[in-house]
Amino acid sequence: MNGLPMYPAYFTDMAGSLLIIVFSFLSLRYAYLLTKKQPDNFLWGFLFYFCATLAVFAISRAMGHLVKQVLFINGNNEQWRIVAPFSGGFNTLLMTSLAAVTIYYHKGIEGYRAIETKARSLKTANKKLKRTATQLYEMNLHLEEMVEDRTRELSASEKKFRNFFINSKDMVYFCDAEDRLVKINASGLKMLGYPISDPPPLTLHDIFHNEDDLDKYFEEIIANHFIKDLEVEFAMADGTIINILLSATAVYNDIGKFIGCEAIAKDLTRVKTMMSQLASSEKMASVGQMAAGVAHEINTPLGVILGYSQLLMDDFPPKTEEGQSLKVIERQTKTCRKIVADLLKFSRQVESAKEDISLNEVMTDVLAVSEHTLGMDHIRVHQDLAKDLKPIVGDAGKLRQVFINFINNAHHAMEEQGGGELFVSTRNLHDSMKVVATIQDTGHGIPDKVRSSIFDPFFTTKTVGKGTGLGLSVSYGIVHEHGGIIEVESPVVDKESGEIRPGTAFHVILPAAMDEPHVVKE
Amino acid sequence: MTPFMKINKILCLLLSVLIVYPGQAWAFQSHAAPEGIYVHQLAHIFFMAALCYLFWDIRRSSFPDRGWRFLQMFCVFMVLWNIVTFTGHLVGGFIDKGTFVTESGYFSTKIAGPINMTKMIYYFAKLDHIFSVPALFCLYLCLRSLYKASCKEEKA
Ligand SMILES: Nc1ncnc2c1ncn2[C@@H]1O[C@H](COP(=O)(O)OP(=O)(O)OP(=O)(O)O)[C@@H](O)[C@H]1O
Ligand SMILES: [Mg+2]
Repeated sequence: MNGLPMYPAYFTDMAGSLLIIVFSFLSLRYAYLLTKKQPDNFLWGFLFYFCATLAVFAISRAMGHLVKQVLFINGNNEQWRIVAPFSGGFNTLLMTSLAAVTIYYHKGIEGYRAIETKARSLKTANKKLKRTATQLYEMNLHLEEMVEDRTRELSASEKKFRNFFINSKDMVYFCDAEDRLVKINASGLKMLGYPISDPPPLTLHDIFHNEDDLDKYFEEIIANHFIKDLEVEFAMADGTIINILLSATAVYNDIGKFIGCEAIAKDLTRVKTMMSQLASSEKMASVGQMAAGVAHEINTPLGVILGYSQLLMDDFPPKTEEGQSLKVIERQTKTCRKIVADLLKFSRQVESAKEDISLNEVMTDVLAVSEHTLGMDHIRVHQDLAKDLKPIVGDAGKLRQVFINFINNAHHAMEEQGGGELFVSTRNLHDSMKVVATIQDTGHGIPDKVRSSIFDPFFTTKTVGKGTGLGLSVSYGIVHEHGGIIEVESPVVDKESGEIRPGTAFHVILPAAMDEPHVVKE
Repeated sequence: MTPFMKINKILCLLLSVLIVYPGQAWAFQSHAAPEGIYVHQLAHIFFMAALCYLFWDIRRSSFPDRGWRFLQMFCVFMVLWNIVTFTGHLVGGFIDKGTFVTESGYFSTKIAGPINMTKMIYYFAKLDHIFSVPALFCLYLCLRSLYKASCKEEKA
């Protein structure tokens, strides 16, 4: 063998040196980028210094080799002899440094590990925290839902009670221990006549009319802690007195101290009037029965008196004194008979006819009879009869008597003042299938204190002989029989203008016939 | 990073001192001719040991990144390179000047025959770049992969 040629070694040496420089610098670049990116990471710091030292080493070594090759190629072997120890020493030094840096690596790794473990524990802690947070969130959500549900239920129940409080047609109020009305519903304010939107501050003393009632109220509240159906009188805002049925409960706080009461008050005024009306109608019924009995008993002796007086009149010529006296007896007895007949009419349940009749016709008939006498006393008659008046079912004759009574009364009321106006009208009450006939005069009117008695039999304000006091009670009986009612107004409040006119108005309200197509009897 | 900086500063200082006053460095103690090669060989051993330590420590740490695998490969190649160069230096001591024959120019240099084991090994050792270039390539791959991984992590 001729020996080994060295040029492949030289060639590898040069190429390798260049490659090493390139790679070491590329590595250094990435190491640098890593440290830039995470300056706190020990590991990158280590790698950076490692790469830096390596790069210097690479340069030193590769440069050495390259220089050596170049010098040898050029044949400057002597110069290499001078440079070589430097290059070699340098290489040695850098190699040692590289080793030292590597040994120091453990420091970096320790730091890195510490960071790693910390990060890992932080991560797990975070995870745990997240899980807990989710749980908490779910719990919260549930809680929110629960609260929402409860609130909804509560508000529903609150609404229910509030509605009850607001919509109650009776007065509901709460008062505190100082008797102040802290809360009162709209119905209560309406009942008392106070403005609903901005009522004045009220106390129990304001609304109770009698101090005695209030004393009784407190007495019972303190004794029984409640009141049931206490009848008291309340004073309205304008001073009007209303009858109240009161129920109340005392309210105590947690420690059992009395802090007020809650109460419900019912307006009894209407019931009261109804009751008194009922009482009067009962009274009338009993009086009527009695009157009927009396009338029947009296009728017979009256007939006998009349018969005998007429017999006697045959014996005495009318011109004689006896004849005159007998004439008076006869006349007075006839009057008596008339009264008795009226009484019987009022009381006896004479079967009345039931046919479709027109109130307008009844009115026209009545006016035709009385117009003349009315005119004599300067009473002007105004008729306002509804054209489309609904027919009613009843007895035309009896109703005629009713209206004659009213017109007579009106006549009498206006007689003294020497004239007046009589308004006669009929109309339909559309909303309740009823018809109304009104007789209104401009007479002296009915004073308040007699108004409640005008329908009583024998009640009259007229002088003896002029009136018997049976007219209205008979009319009452007849209208009642027809299923109607009589309303009295005195003085009269005009429906349209609202002005108050002196005089009296009687409204007869009768039910209209159910079947419209019934032929009205002409 | 501080410890490295310190080390580096000290190293730099030492280096500059050695470069500027090489004469003085040897001033206090006389260093006879073979000392240089001894120091160099010791440095190789030291470096090799450091690389082994690094390799072992990476293995121990079991980093998840692929980059560290490359660093381990770098260590392996570098250790091999150390062995090769160490051997080269060792063998270089037994080869005398006459072994190299230059006929016409540097490139024609040959190792004269007969070729024995020593010469063979020396020749092979001269090709140490076969190990050092892949080692550096691995280092490059290592850092590139670490950098990419850190970028990805950041994005996530
Ligand atoms: N239109 C009226 N204006 C004023 N007072 C009236 C009117 N109608 C009735 N009254 C009062 O009602 C009382 C009762 O009337 P009622 O018709 O029952 O009896 P009367 O008219 O007195 O007697 P008669 O039995 O002759 O009708 C009358 O005395 C009168 O005081
Ligand atoms: Mg009358």
